[in-house]
This record gives sequence, structure tokens and C-alpha cells, in this order.
Amino acid sequence: MVGNEKKITLGTIYRLLAQLMRDPAEELSDEIISVFYLLLDDLKWNKAKEEVRSALDNSDDFIEDLQTEYTRLFINASPHVIAPPYASVNMPGEGTLYGPISEKTKDFYKSRGYDLDDHDLPDHIVNELEFLAIMADEDQEGLEEFLQSLFRPWFAEFKAKVCRESQHPYYRVTIQLIDFFTKKEEVENGIQHDKA
Amino acid sequence: MAFNMTRRKFLQTASLAAASVPLSKVTARANPPFTPVPLKPSGSFKDTKTVSGGVCEMCFWRCQAVGKVRDGRLVKLEGNPKSIDNGTALCARGNSGVQLLYDPDRLKHPLKNVGKRGDPKWKKISWQEALDECARKLNGVKDKYGGKGISLYPHGSSAVYATNFFEHVIGTENVSEASFFQCRGIRDVAYLETFGMPPGENVDMANAKAMLFIGCHLGENVHLSHLKKYLKGLENGAELIVVDPRFSASAAKANNWVKIKPGTDTAFLVAIMNYLVENGKYDKDFIADYSWDFDKFKEGISHASLEWAADICDIPASQIKEVAETLAAKAPNVSIHPGRHVSWYGNDFQRERALACLTALLGAVGVEGGWVPPKGPSGLGSVSWPKVAHHDKDADMYELTDKYHFHPPGVTPELLMNAAISGEPYPVKAAIIWGQNIFKTIPDQETTKKALQAMDFVMCVDVMPTDITAYADILLPEASYLERYDYIKTGTQWDFSDKHQQFIAPRMPLVDPLFERKDPVWITNELAKKMGYEDQIPVSDQKEKLEKELAPVNLSVAKIKKENGIHIQPGEDPYQVPEDFELSLYNGSLEEKGYPAVPTYTEVEEPPKGYARLLYGRTPVHTFNRSLNNVWLHHEMPENPLWLNDETARKLGIEEGDHVALVNSEGVHSNNTTPVKVTPGIRKDSVYLAHGYGTVSPKMTVTAGKGIDDQRLITKPGVDPETGCYGMRTSFVKLVKSGKVLDIPA
Repeated sequence: MVGNEKKITLGTIYRLLAQLMRDPAEELSDEIISVFYLLLDDLKWNKAKEEVRSALDNSDDFIEDLQTEYTRLFINASPHVIAPPYASVNMPGEGTLYGPISEKTKDFYKSRGYDLDDHDLPDHIVNELEFLAIMADEDQEGLEEFLQSLFRPWFAEFKAKVCRESQHPYYRVTIQLIDFFTKKEEVENGIQHDKA
Repeated sequence: MAFNMTRRKFLQTASLAAASVPLSKVTARANPPFTPVPLKPSGSFKDTKTVSGGVCEMCFWRCQAVGKVRDGRLVKLEGNPKSIDNGTALCARGNSGVQLLYDPDRLKHPLKNVGKRGDPKWKKISWQEALDECARKLNGVKDKYGGKGISLYPHGSSAVYATNFFEHVIGTENVSEASFFQCRGIRDVAYLETFGMPPGENVDMANAKAMLFIGCHLGENVHLSHLKKYLKGLENGAELIVVDPRFSASAAKANNWVKIKPGTDTAFLVAIMNYLVENGKYDKDFIADYSWDFDKFKEGISHASLEWAADICDIPASQIKEVAETLAAKAPNVSIHPGRHVSWYGNDFQRERALACLTALLGAVGVEGGWVPPKGPSGLGSVSWPKVAHHDKDADMYELTDKYHFHPPGVTPELLMNAAISGEPYPVKAAIIWGQNIFKTIPDQETTKKALQAMDFVMCVDVMPTDITAYADILLPEASYLERYDYIKTGTQWDFSDKHQQFIAPRMPLVDPLFERKDPVWITNELAKKMGYEDQIPVSDQKEKLEKELAPVNLSVAKIKKENGIHIQPGEDPYQVPEDFELSLYNGSLEEKGYPAVPTYTEVEEPPKGYARLLYGRTPVHTFNRSLNNVWLHHEMPENPLWLNDETARKLGIEEGDHVALVNSEGVHSNNTTPVKVTPGIRKDSVYLAHGYGTVSPKMTVTAGKGIDDQRLITKPGVDPETGCYGMRTSFVKLVKSGKVLDIPA
């Protein structure tokens, strides 16, 4: 499906974005960082790339920096976690873990023939990105439906929190990448101007 | 920044050609999270299962519950229909357990503080790394200072197993459970010294002809089966006497509201007892049967005339007499409520002794409507760590300081904090805080901060990242009461006039824990292994522990599950004086240590000119600070309005709903404002707040900046001389409106 080394598919991009949003202590390798930079190059997001590169290069221990920021933003902070990466926390009207949209998300996975093995909740952003990757590879209709009915409705709130509160450009840029690759494209041809 | 490219165009042109490794290889995972499954036709029916075995812990009454669970997700909690205690009901807090379970702020993984204590920077670490560090640091303190170098601040059933490990195996005696010590500890010791046993809240209100509440505000303090007894008593026509400076929810239902001056309740009670004795209106048979030193007692209270008490208590002598007459007329079927949180003014042991003595004078022991300990199930087993530590004889803080000879079990926070800061009488260099937010349970927050900063190591285990967890070096996430096996709730039917029954209801998980949350048996066992005590571990896991506790009464987890979470068996008639009841109206042991042998009123400090006394209490929708971040409960009561006397408000130009701050007599300001509730239902010399509000951090989105933290203003607690417990209604405040400090008029 993705085998072409020279061409890039949306499914592969979603998998990369999922990698970037996983716990950096477990997942982040030099290879992923280098691919991250190349993606930013291809997009011509030069300023964003320089911000990330500068923050990582100027750190004594960039993995620990990312770990503490990852923990603060997405897991626990004292006394309030900033941006839990779950649909049901960010979905207007829910604000809880494992809320109704979590159940709907799990149902959607099953309706498309997939079950979730991971220990985390079905509506964690990493799981949703992994699922988007499958849909992008296999089921264009499922991709669009999932994006519009289950992903985008909560993502805007999450993106706003991360962009406002993040103290490390790595997460701001990653979130903007996710936004870029998941939002509905209103302009079919020509230039789209996004404020990020 | 602006990005000028569409996704479509990017995908058409991008190559990532310079990648040294193909992108598809970089993003490939050995274990992808999704696996294909056979498709189910749409519209498949999804069962919602009823899971029994829930025992609530949104407060400490532990109502029995069932969970409605759908596909592993808890969607609703309800009272267990089989319950003979709370029945099918749960209170607002009980219902909101779902929100606690799925609160996004809940601790999820072990965390290491790579910042500073009090200004943490958290890093997610593995359990292995977290426990290695805990073991290394705790062993380091133990090797250098002995077991007594470690202190514990536990709370509730989840901390029992761990506390037992540190006491029995590591050898520390420095255990301070403020929820007991600063709540009902005084009561239990006072009754122990009067009845030979602690009282619980075991008054048979459902069958009483009169009830006397000193400061109890049932209705604001919601414990379901206790409320059922109270309301049944009222339905049956019991007379209710409520002694309170404030027109509480109970006062609103009272036949007689005694608007007493704060801190003087003991004078009121002693005068009533003296009136009953002088007029021969006490239960002479009961006293003759159970009291040895009645004459000494009589002499000890003989000074307490109605007029003497009226002057102290700022109430009419005729009202005191009226209360005494009502109690005498309804005796022995009277419920003299022992209270629950009783550490108020620093003279509280004597008030509790007076309540016990009054109960005895009225003969209200073991009779309908009186003080009646229930006859609950017996024979359950217990699991304990072996006692291998040799306790250091030099580690008894009370002996070393020659203080607080009638203290409740455990060490007073005052002595522990002092030891941590000064190293006297010996150094305390590690703190294990297990489920207790000691900023909200112990007054004088600055001293607490100093003590924690002086430690070599601070470890916290909790469900939520409460304020105190910001001082942890290692913070461990615990499974909540809905996700673990532990406490066994036992009891009887709530109304003793009904068929006598007993119940046994062990807590069992309704759902599995999410993330890396672990139950306390697992955490303690793993820590014990890493500290080198694997050979002492008494049970391998939480379920085995419960099985061992149930086995002596021929029950098991499987059997209880089959019985829908509650085992019910025939009960016994509780109406009799308990076999081990021993009455000490006059207590020689107290006298030997230099304390009054009969209940004695001691004056408390008056509010200075321009100040009012700060009183605090409960609200029915919150369990103090523990539940404030719960969205559902927050919605019901987001702030804690300040009760202010209407005449005082008029003189100060304050209207209902105005926002005010407070400043205490030591110059400490509240960090938030709160709206004012203008009411004739509070004395002019007092103001009142519900306790627990005033969360500090602006990032605490649900409750940040909402309400005033009364605990912050308690900087000069009283200390009860017999027990060492803090009295916490000892602060005096002025109002601050729009930056201007307002004197409270006399």
C-alpha cells in the first residue's frame, strides 16, 4: 500500500503524526526527527522547522525536555493537565474521559471492521491518527466520515489549547501539521491561506 | 505563520526524497494498535450490564452501589437494590463518582518531579523506575535515622495496608491520619474515657422522642442511612433541639434552636447536667447501676447554674432550662448526638465528655431512641504484615514531649511537623502521603510547606493531583474505589424497629483501572520487594487479601458476587446496655495527669474588636476539597458563600451577592473572593463558610479562583490539651470589599 519510497501517501503521513504524538521516551528516534524535518521542508514550513530544530539542538537533554512537556500537556500537571488528547475531554458538552464520543468512536472502528488492541482509550489522538491511516489506505469514504463526524468536532478545541499553552515548539508544530492534514480543504485548486 | 500549500497539492508533489530511511519503514510498528475483526451488522444490540459490589467512597459513609457498565465503560451509578443501609439511593456525590472515574485530571502514570518541591516539573516514568527510586530513598532514610525517620500521612481504606507495612516492618510510629485525628479522634477518646468505648454516630434517631445536636448540621452533612434515621425520627414526632451559632439545615427543622456563642457548648451542657441532678430529673437507677463516683461528679458540676451558663453562652437561662426539661421529659428515649467532626475550639475533649455524661444521666444507653451500638456481623478475618520491626523506645513523641496523654491513635500533626523542621525530639526526614491532602486537613499551611521542604524524600500516592502532590518527589497513580477490591462494609438495617438483619458488603471493582493505575496492595508489595522485604509479604494481591478476610465467615468473592454484592444474614436485637460498657462520670485517670476529672468548661479566646469568628462546615454536594474538581458537583455549588448577619451587613453597606475577601487577625488574606449570603441566621460575632474551597492554581479550570479557602486563614489553631488535636474554629476575620478592610461592628 505504502511501498513506494519516493511517493508519500496520506496514510503514511498519519502514521508519522501518530508517532510524533506518542510518548517521546518510548517512540522518538533520530530517524523520526529527521523525517519530521524533511516533511517540514517539503511543506516549506521553514520557520516552524527552525523553531523546532533550535529548541531541540539547544537542549542538554531534548528527550527529557519533550518528556516533561508531554507529561505537562497530555498526562498530568499539578494541579491540572493542560490538554488531554482525548476526543471526549475536548468535545463541547462532554469534558470527561471516556465520555459518549469515546463509545461512538469505538463503535465506528468496529463498524469499519477494526478493533482496538492498545491499552489507551479509543479516542486518544494517537489511536485516531492510526485509524485515519488505515482509512486513508483502504476506505476513502470511511476517512471522510470519520474526519467530519468524529475527529474534527473536537480537534479544534484541542489544537487551541496546545497552541496557546505549549512551551515547546515541537508540539505546536505537530498539532499544526495534524490540523493541516485533517481539515476539510475548501479550495480545490490554487492557493489556500491558512492562519496557523 | 502562514502556510501556503494545500494538502492535495502537497501529496501530489512531495517526495521526502532525501530521507535516509523510507518513510513507510520509519512509521511501521511491530504491534499496530488495530486488528481487523469480523464486521457486525449495524444495529447490533449492546447490553448494558449491572455490575454489583460497589462500595462508595465519595465520602466515608460507604453506601453500597451498583454500576451500569457498557462495553467496559461505567455509564451510571445507583444504590444497590439489595442494600438494607442506603437502599437504592445515592447522594449527589455518590452519583458523581462517574465523573471522578473519568476526570481528565486524574493521575494516570507514575511521575517524577524533575523541578522543585512546590513548583513541580513532572516527567512520566515507569513503575519500575518510580519504585526503585522510592525504595532507595526510603531505605536511605531508614538506614540513617531508623524507622522513626519516616512519617506517614495516610487517609482512608486504600492506605491501610501500606500503613501497616511501614508500622510493622519498617518500624515507624509517625502516622498522622488527619481525617481521623482532626475529625472524630477527640470524640472517640472522650467516650472511651467515659463509656469505655467509642460512640460512632450510633444514636437511634429513628425511634427517639427527642434529639439534641450540638453543632451537627445533618442535611448539610449527608450520610444516607444516618439521614434516614434522623428524618424517620422527625416523621415520628421527635422533638429536635439544635445548638448552633448558625441557622443550619438542622436548625431549620428544630423545635428549639439555641443560638449559642461559639466555644461555650461545654458550659451549656454542664449546666443542663447540674439542673437535672439538682432537680432529681436524671435516671437514678441507671446511675446507681453503672456509676461509682457519682457524688464526686455531682460536686464537680455543682457550680454550673443556669444563670452562670446563660451568661457564658449568651443565651437566656430559660432556654437552657427548657432544653433540660424537654430532655428529662423524653428520657430515656433521647438521642444525644456525639457529633463527627468535633475539633473546633481547642476545648473539645471536655465537650465530648459532657455529651457522654449527659447521655448516661438520661439513661439513654441501649434503649429505644438512645445511644445504641448496632450488633453487626462478627468473625471477619484480617490481613496484617508480620511485626518484625523492633520499635525504638525513644520514638514515642508523646513520652518525649510529655504532652497530650489522651491522644487518639497516631501522632499529632503539630509534633510531626515540628520534628521535621527542628529535628526534635528526633529527625523525621521522609514523608509518605497516601490519599491525604494535608494542606486542607491540617491548619497552618506555611508550617506544612516548611516541613516538607525539610524532608530528604516525599512520596505521594493519590487518585487526583491535589495541591499537596505538588510537593512530591515521586507521585504514584492509584486505582479509585470503583476499580479495586478493599474495604468490607458491614452493618445492620438502618431502622432498629425493623426486622433485625446484618450485611457484609466488600468493595469490588465495577470496571478495570485505566492507564497505569494500580491498587494499593500491588503498590505496597512491589515497594516492599524493592526495599528488601519480599519474604514478609502477607498476600499476593488485593483479591487474595479480600478472600482471606471473608473466609472465616464462610464467604468468598465468588459467593458475594452471586449474591449481587451484599451478603445478608439474620441480625440481633441491639437494645441492651453493651456488655463492656463502663461508666466514668468522674474520671480519676484524667485527674492523675492533671486534667479535669469531670466535664469542665474552659474559656476560649474572644474575637478581637472589629473581627468575627470564622466558622466552617459542610455542604451536601461536596466532600470538602476532594470533590471540587468534579464538574457535576461544581455545577451544583461552585462557590462557598460567606454567611453574614443581616444587621452587620446593613451597617457595613454589604448586600446579598456582593463579593468579599477576608483577612485574619494575623494579617493573612484569602486568595479569592466569595459572594455574601446576608441572613439573620447567624450570630453577629461569627461568619461562616463551607470548608474546602479556594483552590489556588489558575490552571485548575473547574474550580480555580472559586470561593475562599478557610484553611488558609486558620493560622492560629487551638490545641486540645488532653488529645493534642487542633481546634480550627479559632480564627478571627475582617471583610475586605473592593480593597477596603471593613471592621465588623460589635
